[in-house]
Amino acid sequence: MTPTAEGRTEILISGFGGQGVIRMGQILGLCAIKQGHRVTMLKSHGTETRGGYVRAQLVISPRYVDSPVVENADVFVAFSAPAYRKFFDFCRGKILYDPEMVEEIRSDAPERHVAVAATQMSKERFNNVLFANMIMLGALTRVAALDYEAMRTAMVEVIPRFHEQNLGALEVGYQLPVLSTV
Amino acid sequence: MIEHKETLVAPWQEWARRSIKGRRLLEAGTYALTEGAIAAGCRVFAGYPITPATDIAEYMSKRLPQVGGYYMQCEDELAGMHACAGASLGGLKAMTATSGPGYTLMHDAYGWSITNEIPLVVVDAMRVGPISGITGAPGQGEFYIARYASHGGNFETIVLSPSSVQEAFWLTIDAFNLAERFRTPVTILTDQVISDMWEDLFIPDDYDGLDFVIPRKHNLMMPFYPVGSADLDVPPNVIGHGTGVCVSAYTHTEEGYDIEEMEAQWAQTFRLVNKIRHHRAELTRYETLGLDDADVIAVAYGANARTVKTGVLQARRRGVRAGFVRLITLWPFLDELFERDARYVVCELNYDGQLVREVMRAAPDKRKVHFMGKSAELHTVAEVVAGLDGVARSGKIPELPYIWTEVR
Repeated sequence: MTPTAEGRTEILISGFGGQGVIRMGQILGLCAIKQGHRVTMLKSHGTETRGGYVRAQLVISPRYVDSPVVENADVFVAFSAPAYRKFFDFCRGKILYDPEMVEEIRSDAPERHVAVAATQMSKERFNNVLFANMIMLGALTRVAALDYEAMRTAMVEVIPRFHEQNLGALEVGYQLPVLSTV
Repeated sequence: MIEHKETLVAPWQEWARRSIKGRRLLEAGTYALTEGAIAAGCRVFAGYPITPATDIAEYMSKRLPQVGGYYMQCEDELAGMHACAGASLGGLKAMTATSGPGYTLMHDAYGWSITNEIPLVVVDAMRVGPISGITGAPGQGEFYIARYASHGGNFETIVLSPSSVQEAFWLTIDAFNLAERFRTPVTILTDQVISDMWEDLFIPDDYDGLDFVIPRKHNLMMPFYPVGSADLDVPPNVIGHGTGVCVSAYTHTEEGYDIEEMEAQWAQTFRLVNKIRHHRAELTRYETLGLDDADVIAVAYGANARTVKTGVLQARRRGVRAGFVRLITLWPFLDELFERDARYVVCELNYDGQLVREVMRAAPDKRKVHFMGKSAELHTVAEVVAGLDGVARSGKIPELPYIWTEVR
C-alpha cells in the first residue's frame, strides 16, 4: 500500500456493535505506535448497544496527524451491509468485506474488493464467531503491508484472554490464499 | 505550496522537549485528562457521570485510590463541584468533569469558588446542544457560558481548550498550575471528539519528578483574601491547618467576613478582575500558521482546529495565502492575535456564532470577519478549503450544505 504524499495512511473499519471493530482498531493503532508512528482513532457509533453501526477511523502517519477524519480510506474493512453502503464513498483503496455480512457488493469496482469470509472461518475453525475480527485483522495486516510480528505483540498486549485462539485467528487471516494476489 | 511559519505558544512546548522517561500508549482524551490531573497532584474527584465525560469519572474512581486520593460519586453536578471546592479548602487539589448539561448546573459552585478564590479544575467535554442534544456528537456551545460561569459579574475566568490527546495531558497539568497561581477555578473546555478519540500519548513514568508542577501551598495567616491587590501566587486558604477560614458567597473583607460596604465591594472586584487582567501574559497559549503573509486566516479551537488546519495547508498548496489561528486560551480572549488587517474565517461547532463575535470585536474590520458554523460534526477539509478559497477570491463563503454563515 502506498501512503499519500504526506505519508498518511487512512483505515476505516465498520460493522455492527459487538463484532470487535474497536478492538481491531485498537490493536492496529497500538501496533503502529510501537513502530514509531503517530496515530489517531475516532470511534463513532449509534446509540444501540447491539445492531447499530460502529466505526473506527484510523490515521497513521510518520508525523503528527492534523485531521483525524478518514475521508479517503486506503483500506476499508466492511463487517456489515449497512456499514458497507454507508461508508463506501469514503474509500479510494481496497475494500475487505465479510461475504456472510455483506452479500451484495457494488459492480463498478470489482478489483478493489477482497472477500474475507472471516465469520464463516471463525465458526468452522473455532466453533465461535468471536474470532472473526482477528481473522480480518490478519487479512488487513497482509493487505496494508503492516508488520505481522508487531501486530501479534500488540494483540497480546490489548486482548486480556484467549491469546492462543486469537493468535491462531490472526494467522488464518494473514495466510489467506486469496490475499497473495491482492 | 507557499512556505509558511508555524508557531506554538504554550508552556508544555518546553516540558515536552525535556528528556523525561516515559511510555507511548494509544489512549483516549478522557484518559489523558485523568492522567494529567493525577500528574498535577489532583487527589480528589467529585462529580456526576455524563457522556462524553463519564470515562474521566471511571478512570478517576480507579486511579485516585491508587495514589492515596478520594473519588466521590455525588447526587448531581452541583454537589460534585461544591464537594471539590470543599476538598480544595481542605488542602487537596481537586477536579470535576462534566458535559454542557452538568456544566450549567455547576455554576452556583463555580461562582462560590471564584469569590472565595478556591483553586479547582473543571472539565467540560462539550456535546452538541441545546440542552442534552446528542450525547455522542461534538459541539462548541459553551464558549460564552465558560466565560460567564457565574452570575453577578465582577470577575474574570480562565478557560483553556486542547486539540489533541497529548495536549489534553499537558494542558491539564497547566490548568492545575494556573488554578494554584491565580487562586481560581479553571475550565478545560474540550469536546466529544477530543475526549472520546484515541491517539498516541506519551506519559511520564514518574509523576513525582515533574518539577514544573506547582505544589499546593497553604495560606495560614490573615489576610485570607488579598482584596485590592492583583498579586499572583498568593497561597490559597486551607481550613484546619492551624486556623479556621471564613468562606461565604457574600462580599467579604480580607478576613472573609461578610460586609455590605461599597469600598469592600470595589476592593474585592479589583482583586477578582485584575489578578487575571494584569497577568494576561501568563495566560497566553495559541498556535498559528502562516500569519506573516496571510490574506485570509482560519480561526478555530479544539478538535475542529485539526480539520481546519489541514484545510489551511491544502488551501496554501493551491496558492491561497491562507493563515491559521488556533486558540488554546479561550478566556481571557487573545485580542492581540487578530490585529492583522486580513479576512478571518471563523469555524466553530454551533450555528448561533459565538467565537466569531469575539473575533469581530477584536479584528480591525468586523466586515472582514466571516462565519462558518457547523453543528454536531467537524468541518470537513473540503468545506474549509471551499470557504477559504471563496473568501480569498470573492470575499464570500460559498453556499455549502450544513454550513451557516449569518451572524447578526
